[in-house]
Amino acid sequence: MIVADRKPLEEILKHVAGCGRILVLGCGGCVTVCASGGDRQAEHLAAQLRLAAKGQGRAVEVTVKTPTRQCDREFLEPLRADIGPADAVISLACGVGVQLLAEVFEAKPVYPALNTTFMGAHTGPGTWTENCRGCGQCVLAETAGVCPVARCAKSLVNGACGGTNKGKCEVSKEIDCAWYLIYKRLKARGDLSFLRAEREPLDWGKSSSGIRRTLVHPELTDTVPASAPAAPKS
Amino acid sequence: MPGRQLTSAEYARLAGSGALIEAEWAPCRSACPVHADVRAYLDLIGRGKFREALDVIREVLPFPGACGRICHHPCEQDCRRNDVDQPAAIRDLKRFVTERDYPEGQKFRKPVQDRAPVAVVGAGPSGLTAALDLAKLGYRPTVFDRSAAGGGLLYSAVPAYRLPRKVLQADVDAILAQGVELKLGVEVGGALTIDALRSQGFKAVVIAVGLSRSRGLPIPGADAQGVELALPFLASADSSGPRFAGKSVVVVGGGNVAVDVARTAIRLGAVRVQMACLENEKEQPAWAWERHEAAEEEVATLHRLGPKRIVVRDGRVAGIEFKAVTAVFDEQGRFSPKYDESKLTTLDCDVVIFAIGQESDLSLARGTDVKVDERGRLVFDRNTARTSAQDVFACGEVVTGPGSAVEAVASGHRAARAVHQFLTGAPINLAESLPPKVEKIAPATVNRLLKATRAAMPTVGAAERRRNFAEFELGLDEAAAMQEARRCMSCASGPFVLTDKCAACLTCRRVCPFEIPEVKEIADISSALCQGCGICASECPANAIVMASYGPDAVQKEVGAALAVLRPDRLRIVVFSCGHHAPATRWGGSEAARPAAVAKEIYLPSMSRLSAADILAAFEAGADGVAILECTSGACRYPTVDQRLRRRVDLARQLLVEAGIDGARLSLAVGGAGDPAAASKAVAQVAERAARQTHKHG
Repeated sequence: MIVADRKPLEEILKHVAGCGRILVLGCGGCVTVCASGGDRQAEHLAAQLRLAAKGQGRAVEVTVKTPTRQCDREFLEPLRADIGPADAVISLACGVGVQLLAEVFEAKPVYPALNTTFMGAHTGPGTWTENCRGCGQCVLAETAGVCPVARCAKSLVNGACGGTNKGKCEVSKEIDCAWYLIYKRLKARGDLSFLRAEREPLDWGKSSSGIRRTLVHPELTDTVPASAPAAPKS
Repeated sequence: MPGRQLTSAEYARLAGSGALIEAEWAPCRSACPVHADVRAYLDLIGRGKFREALDVIREVLPFPGACGRICHHPCEQDCRRNDVDQPAAIRDLKRFVTERDYPEGQKFRKPVQDRAPVAVVGAGPSGLTAALDLAKLGYRPTVFDRSAAGGGLLYSAVPAYRLPRKVLQADVDAILAQGVELKLGVEVGGALTIDALRSQGFKAVVIAVGLSRSRGLPIPGADAQGVELALPFLASADSSGPRFAGKSVVVVGGGNVAVDVARTAIRLGAVRVQMACLENEKEQPAWAWERHEAAEEEVATLHRLGPKRIVVRDGRVAGIEFKAVTAVFDEQGRFSPKYDESKLTTLDCDVVIFAIGQESDLSLARGTDVKVDERGRLVFDRNTARTSAQDVFACGEVVTGPGSAVEAVASGHRAARAVHQFLTGAPINLAESLPPKVEKIAPATVNRLLKATRAAMPTVGAAERRRNFAEFELGLDEAAAMQEARRCMSCASGPFVLTDKCAACLTCRRVCPFEIPEVKEIADISSALCQGCGICASECPANAIVMASYGPDAVQKEVGAALAVLRPDRLRIVVFSCGHHAPATRWGGSEAARPAAVAKEIYLPSMSRLSAADILAAFEAGADGVAILECTSGACRYPTVDQRLRRRVDLARQLLVEAGIDGARLSLAVGGAGDPAAASKAVAQVAERAARQTHKHG
């Protein structure tokens, strides 16, 4: 799941200072699950916008809508009537949703209310922790399901560094050493052969530091593979 | 109930219609013969809304005062709290709301009555109920009764120590104030026949004459001096002085009337009162609690005795002889007593009172088209509440047999519906389809619930009360009543999940103090287990959980009402408080003692309901400050609410500060519980900070 965090109100206010009509869009996807951008948080933001405006002696009309998710065009189209009269749209989606929104409604200023932070899992009451960095060449098969790219401070892929200290990372005693976790789990399985194998360096060209990445499931695309039999003529 | 799920569109259609809260009934409501919405009125009492609670009761029960004292409360027998500790004290709470002094008084509106006149014979609970229902429908009912006061047997046979006359009179007065005419001292069947009523223009007649005659037994000696019958005895008892001083009394019978007779005899000075009944201890029909109270007053009960003869000396009762009872019921469970004539018991006594049952006086039917069967019973169709005459209906004990007041009221409602259908030319159909009853609570959930001791009704000690007819139950005080009301488990008031909004995020499961929500494709929250706290609804990030008992804007509506009573040109502080704290915010009972003349309190059944969004909304609606009285750990019926409230207030404060509002205008008062000084200080502090920022004053 994509995890995101609310921006300070001050930053959001800067963008909508002169707007009389604001549409606040929650997202019913990942950011609802991590309780940062759901309908409830959208309502909190709307209340803040109204209160802030009132404090400055201004009136502002704020409407809240929360589509199923903002990262699919089909869920955005029905918002057209709400978006039309708005001076600005504030999206509580992750960066994906905000961009798609801005693309679908090109003429409308769309501002993010969240900082998209990571892909993570719920790890305790009210807590989500990063588990994946989207490096594009998953090594989890060899690392006992613990990602060294996301969870090692140095993203090392060939074993622990000299800073590992009683299972913790030298960066902070609060952080588990990913390689220590990998070692423990593999040892418990009785197979440390993965650790002995030499791994090629990662191709960082596939990572987020490279070009914009795309996922394609050919079976769901409109492209018919060349090898496919031609459709029967009706 | 499976499928407490619906779409947002369905919710929008149903919200406010009552359909969600009516989807399933709490067992108390199903068990109540008039289906009073117990959960609703206990919720209101828990929030200090006593008058509103009384209104809910009055919707279906025109005898709240009487039933608050003498009801046999089947609601309590079926209360799901029985599975946890003891049932909620529903009857005592009903009494509590009838005893308050309401500043607005007990005003009743007389309905517009432009429909036909209807005659009702008998001013007991069934007759007066039928009359009231008809008045509310626009008919002009006149109730005839041969007694000197309304109330039927509640007036003439229920002893004043259980039901003070003025309490009953208040119920009757309220009924009369709503368009019912009562003609007392008029016997229908004498000069005033049913035909005469017809010719006077009454378009329908309701017979509600009850069981007004005590039955005696034709045993030797039954005509001796000192033999009495229950009903005439009870009717004159509290005005007859200590006429049993020094006497020994035997009451024949084991029902509730027999218990009333025995306890009344004690109060008339009898030195010894013994009840003798056919049944054994298990079979005895009188309510267990009344038998217990009688035993406390030193009434002895002797079982398995069948009266054989009265021992008479000089024309006066000297004792009563009994034969042993070997069985009371036959194999089919029908009343068919068997005796062993060889085993005899004699009790020496001066007075014998028969309390073995009552029968109707149906002389009004004589010579009319209202037929009576060979066993002396009114010919009656249960499905239409109608007698053999088209325009004559019947209700109450005359057709149901012996029962309790609330059952008579239920019967009165049916007769009124029948009359209305008849007079509007509709086919008479009294069939009711009631919502299903919420299922039994599972033991795993029971183990997570907090136990709470039932409020004990303060009573006068047996030694004291057996000397007089003063009411021996003293009533609950406000603090006890509000606390007791909050023991209600709010059965079936819990959430519905909006299928199109739920993101299966698991928040509900994680915040529920009872671990009730199951999340598969989406959340599923069992009404049989849910305690209705609303924590999930106040936390759900998708706003996908809606409560059956209150809308998402319920708190905001209360804020609106609170602000409306405060002057907008002055400071306006909203105080949120759990019902638990209510006595602490009565401000010593004096408006002048208010910490700031600017505060208005809103009591919630639990702070579990108050969301961060509600707090923001209060400021948006115009509150200059919000004071929240913190829950005392363990005081709430729901675990974890105190901690959750702190987190919500923190979040709300953070959001407010970001929006430029002084965070001190929102306060969570620690130690507000039961402590007016702390509550008042917290409000004053908020008021001061609000005044500083808003430049408004109190």
